[in-house]
Amino acid sequence: MFRTPIAIGLTALMIASPAFAEIARIKQSSGIAFVERNSQQLKPAPGLQLLAGDRLVTGKDGRMSLTFVDNTRFAVGPNSRIAVSEFQYDKTRQKGSFLTQVDRGSLAVSSGKIAKSDRDAMKVRTPNTLLGVRGTKFIVEVPE
Amino acid sequence: MKSIRLAAACLLLGGCATSSLVLLPDDEGHQGSVAVLEADGKSSESIISQGNSRTKLGEANANPQPLGEKGLKPEEAALLTSLPPPAKSFTLYFDQGTTTPTLESQSVLNALRAEIASRSGPQVEVTGHTDTVGSEEDNDRLSTQRAEEVLNWLVSQGFDRSLMLASGRGERDLKEPSIDNFSSATNRRVEVIVR
Repeated sequence: MFRTPIAIGLTALMIASPAFAEIARIKQSSGIAFVERNSQQLKPAPGLQLLAGDRLVTGKDGRMSLTFVDNTRFAVGPNSRIAVSEFQYDKTRQKGSFLTQVDRGSLAVSSGKIAKSDRDAMKVRTPNTLLGVRGTKFIVEVPE
Repeated sequence: MKSIRLAAACLLLGGCATSSLVLLPDDEGHQGSVAVLEADGKSSESIISQGNSRTKLGEANANPQPLGEKGLKPEEAALLTSLPPPAKSFTLYFDQGTTTPTLESQSVLNALRAEIASRSGPQVEVTGHTDTVGSEEDNDRLSTQRAEEVLNWLVSQGFDRSLMLASGRGERDLKEPSIDNFSSATNRRVEVIVR
C-alpha cells in the first residue's frame, strides 16, 4: 500500500536532481589524490565522471586536473580540499550556475560558458570570501 | 615589536598566511574580472580587474598588487601548467538530405580523430543540424542521424562509445539564418566539441 507513493517520490527525485548527470571528467592526476562522493573515495583515473557535490582532495604532492561540460577547466594543487557544491548547466541555452568551495589548498581555474552566461553565475567560496567570476583565468590559494 | 615578531613567525612557519587570488588574462589574452561579493562575512562591492595581479582575500576593499618582476611563484606556475588543454571544436558539412559528410569534411574527420587520441580522459559532444528544407520532424530525425553517423565512425576508429554523446537539433540552431525550405550548405552540419 505504501509502495506507490515511495516509487513516485523516487522518480521525482531522479528527474529533479541534476546530481545524477555528468558535470566534469578527470583528465589527469598524480600523487595522493581522490574524489570524495558521499562516504566513498574514488580513484581519479583519467575519464572518471564527476557529479555535483563531489569533493576533490589531494595530499602532499597530489594533483588533479579536470574539464567541466561547460568548458571550465580546473587544476587542483597539493594539500587541497575543494567541493563542487553546485553545478547546473543547460547545454542548449548555455546557461547555468556553478559554486565551488575551496576549503584549503590551491585551485587554478579557466572559466567556461557558465561564467559568461549571467553575472556571477559562477561563484567561488573560500573560508573568508565569496567571489563572483566574470570570465577569466585565476588562481585561488587558501593556506591551512 | 610584538607585531614584528608575529610577522616573522608567520614568515618562518607559513601558518598565518591569508587566502589570495591571482588574476590572469585568459588564453586569448582577454582580461576578465572577479568580483568580491562577500569578505569576512560582510557584503562587498570590490571588483578585481587588474590582470597579472595578486590580491589578499578577506578584506572589504580589495587591493590588487601587480605581480611585478618576480611574477608567479613556482607552485603557481606549475598549477597553471597542469590545467587541461582548452576544448576544441570541429564542424563537418553534409550533402543535401544525406548523412554523408562532404568530400572536404573527410580531412576534418581525420583531424578530429587525432585530437581525441591526443587527449587524456577525453569527452566528445556531437551535435547534428540541418537546413530548413523539409519538415521539422524529418529534420530532427536527419540531424540525429548525422550526429550518430559521426559517432559510429569514431567508434569504428576504436574510440569507446562511453566517451561520446550524440544529439540532433534539427533546424533550431541555424548557423546561417534563413527562410523555410532554403537549401544551405552552411547549416547542414555536425558540430563536435572535444574536451
